[in-house]
Amino acid sequence: MPVLTLSKQVLASIDVTVCVLPSQAKHSEHHEGRHYSIPLEEVKAVFPHGLPSRFQQQIKTFNEACLMVRKPALELFTYLKSSNFAHPAVRYVIYGEKGTGKTMTLCHVVHYCARQGWLVLHIPDAHLWVKNCKELMKSSYKEERLDQPLQASVWLKNFKASNERFLKEIKTQKTYVWGKQESTEEGRPLGEVVEQGLARTRNASDAVGVVLKELKQQCQRGSFRLLVAVDGVNALWGRTTLKREDKSPVSPGELTLVYNLRKLMMNNWNGGAIVTTLSQTGSLFKPRSAYLPQELLGKVSHGLPPPSFTMGNRNPGWGTASGHGGRVCFSLSSHNIL
Amino acid sequence: SFNMSLFRLSQFQNFKTHFLAPHQMLRHFRKQSLQLNTGLIPHLPSADLSQRKKMHTPPRTERMAVDQDWSSVYPTAAAFKPASVPLPIRMGYPVKRGVPPPKEGNLELIKIPNFLHLTPPAIKKHCAALKDFCTEWPSALDSDEKCEQHFPIEIETVDYVSAGTSIRNPKARVVTLRVKLSHLNLDDHAKKKLIKLVGERYCKDTDMLTITTDRCPLRRQNYDYSIHLLTVLYHESWKTEMWESEKTEEDMEEYIWENSCSQKNALDTLLRIKASENVSNVTKEELLASEVVKNYRNSVIALKNEGETENNMSQYKESVKKLLNIQALP
Repeated sequence: MPVLTLSKQVLASIDVTVCVLPSQAKHSEHHEGRHYSIPLEEVKAVFPHGLPSRFQQQIKTFNEACLMVRKPALELFTYLKSSNFAHPAVRYVIYGEKGTGKTMTLCHVVHYCARQGWLVLHIPDAHLWVKNCKELMKSSYKEERLDQPLQASVWLKNFKASNERFLKEIKTQKTYVWGKQESTEEGRPLGEVVEQGLARTRNASDAVGVVLKELKQQCQRGSFRLLVAVDGVNALWGRTTLKREDKSPVSPGELTLVYNLRKLMMNNWNGGAIVTTLSQTGSLFKPRSAYLPQELLGKVSHGLPPPSFTMGNRNPGWGTASGHGGRVCFSLSSHNIL
Repeated sequence: SFNMSLFRLSQFQNFKTHFLAPHQMLRHFRKQSLQLNTGLIPHLPSADLSQRKKMHTPPRTERMAVDQDWSSVYPTAAAFKPASVPLPIRMGYPVKRGVPPPKEGNLELIKIPNFLHLTPPAIKKHCAALKDFCTEWPSALDSDEKCEQHFPIEIETVDYVSAGTSIRNPKARVVTLRVKLSHLNLDDHAKKKLIKLVGERYCKDTDMLTITTDRCPLRRQNYDYSIHLLTVLYHESWKTEMWESEKTEEDMEEYIWENSCSQKNALDTLLRIKASENVSNVTKEELLASEVVKNYRNSVIALKNEGETENNMSQYKESVKKLLNIQALP
């Protein structure tokens, strides 16, 4: 087993051990704490927009993408393997303090499902949809709602990059009329809807809504498995910093993107799973110390997600260098055979 | 001559420096400080003999017996006198690599209030003196529980005595009434309403309602008012107004699972699961009565009422696993 040791870290004098572990599906408890590397082509295909920016810098520095195998991820794999896809989709919530590896766990799960052939609907950071929106337009579909063309088109582009083959296979079940002359007929591949959204940014948010709706409906037939991975799901039920032209505040439910995503968060569909993360980083109007579900989601939404499932990420892991507290540091260096 | 008197005195007792005249005092002290190596030269003493006596007699503490009567040293509240308190106290901020300054001439010790006049033997003497004016404690009330049982309402008043021309003190009119709600005959709705009405005056940990009144000029009037308040609160909390039916979920004091959205969603999910397995004729009541749903209900109630703790979260997780029948592979 080739072992590569890098001991140049100036920040902390810890050795980072990278091993080529057996294929992901066979990750089990004794792999906990170790790193496995993803080939860079796969990273581009599976994670056009999922990885945190620091991790992307790290990939560029070390020229390799190494994810740490964490216990909650392993737990999730067992649940996903044994889940019954005829039952309503189970919602999993990963919570934990800052820096414990929630986003990386989510990326691990996304990679696992992508390798297993699932359709991955990855929303990298739901907080980006509720703040810093330069262009807010009135929705053409529904009067009260607001569109976000830029965010929607960015997401559509990345979604297309990661799920090319599915977009060719899945066919629309309804005719969608985009404008006076533009419409998508029934039975056309879903890729056309995505193209329409990318070509006309006015319709991008509605295109996203159509994609989500179609996927939800067709997943139940069982031809593919759908994984909905949302990072920072507490943004969907919090507050926004956006304001309309008359300076009145916008609630998340009035944004088309958030409204459609909320519909997907309900467990009234089957044939897949919903894995979400709670994140305080990037959240709005939440104190820095908040990390528990009720603190971040608030009272309103806790009434909503009925049986949902939580996994704690307890100890801080400093990037991919070390793991849970100091313990894994030592075990890593003991594996360090040169 | 002066020297002759000195010589005669020294035959009978130790040489006392306060018999020296001022300029000779200085010479004496300089010699002493050179010997002691302190380098400190005190103020020139005054010509007044008593002042000089004070400076050079040893303090009273050295003549105090261990079993003396302390209440005669400090019969009343008085400032701290270092020469009268035989304790080696130091107080103050130490300079670098030093210790807190000693008690002699220590302003910090004089500034603070002290209770040297209220030692236990002194208080015993006060009680003995007051005993003639007191009546016997009723022998039947020998424990706290019996006192509470027979006299659930406690009234607190304060009397003030001060040295001055007037015996009146406006603070003496304040009356505090304390009662435990468990002694009042209240049902569930009445108790919740009473707690909402009194607001801050109720303490949940001790179940104690505290009413403080001072709006009337006389103590008796304040007492009557507080009793009146208690009566009014009691009767009002038993009444149900029409607008109380508009009570919303935010007004509820604790989380009730029945008819909440959590219950609805849980039942929904379970029904859908059963439908997918083609098991029909499962009624809502059956589902509600099943073990897994009860478990889930308890964990949600614990989460909401007690807040989130590790325990609660893991309990919730286990109950959800059982509810949705998710198994982890070994």
